[in-house]
Amino acid sequence: MIHDYLILSVILFCLGILGVITRRNVFTVFMSIELMLNAANLAFIVFSRVHESMDGHVLAMMVMAVAAAEAALALAVVILLHKHKGKLDTNVFSLLKG
Amino acid sequence: MFAEVLFIAFAALSVLGAMGLILFRHPMKGAMSLIVTMISLAGLYALLSAKLIFVLQLIVYAGAIMSLILFIIMFLNIQDNDLPVEEGRFLYLAGGIAVIIPIASFLIKIVNGLPDSQVTIVGNGFGGVKEVGLILFQDWLLPFEIVSLLLLVALIGAVVLAGKRRLVK
Repeated sequence: MIHDYLILSVILFCLGILGVITRRNVFTVFMSIELMLNAANLAFIVFSRVHESMDGHVLAMMVMAVAAAEAALALAVVILLHKHKGKLDTNVFSLLKG
Repeated sequence: MFAEVLFIAFAALSVLGAMGLILFRHPMKGAMSLIVTMISLAGLYALLSAKLIFVLQLIVYAGAIMSLILFIIMFLNIQDNDLPVEEGRFLYLAGGIAVIIPIASFLIKIVNGLPDSQVTIVGNGFGGVKEVGLILFQDWLLPFEIVSLLLLVALIGAVVLAGKRRLVK
């Protein structure tokens, strides 16, 4: 039981990494990061169920709060960059390059 | 067993949604398939008898965060020619899979090394609001307060970033 859930979590995490490293659309990259956070959440919940303690649930709630904060900030940055450059390509967003 | 069938259905749906996210070209379709993943993950949490997290996943993730992302995507009014040109997307994807497979097999090997515990029966209160809340406000009080500080920082940052007036050229 636990192995199936954890392997699903690994698969979702690897799909998230794939989305981050292969796509250039900034929205897809951002949603892939959300997918990786979800995979980590699934692992927390599975271990919490196995050990029958609810600390993993609390950690999953913390991860959700961090994801919400990240979504707010990242979308604000995306709106600013889209206003500035008019594009959604991550290759264009090299503003900090020296 | 009913639970195994449900697990297989939810797992297949979540993997399909994640693959749709990284394969669709338009971010709107990708966001829709990510919502499928979120909802099937909520079903998995319900199978693991995490009641509060099940509800929070539906409300916070599939509800609030994804509707925020969808709202921004619709707000920017992305046409097909606004999207970045990704001609070698499938080539990059093949290269990415070649990089990911060793990492994934390593992680799966670690997972298989864990002891596989039998399905135990937990009490009726496991994962309920009251029990999780007791743990949250007793053992995890300081991290909870730090998270509230983080949310305040994110709020101020979002207002400062998005509310900035554009400089007149």
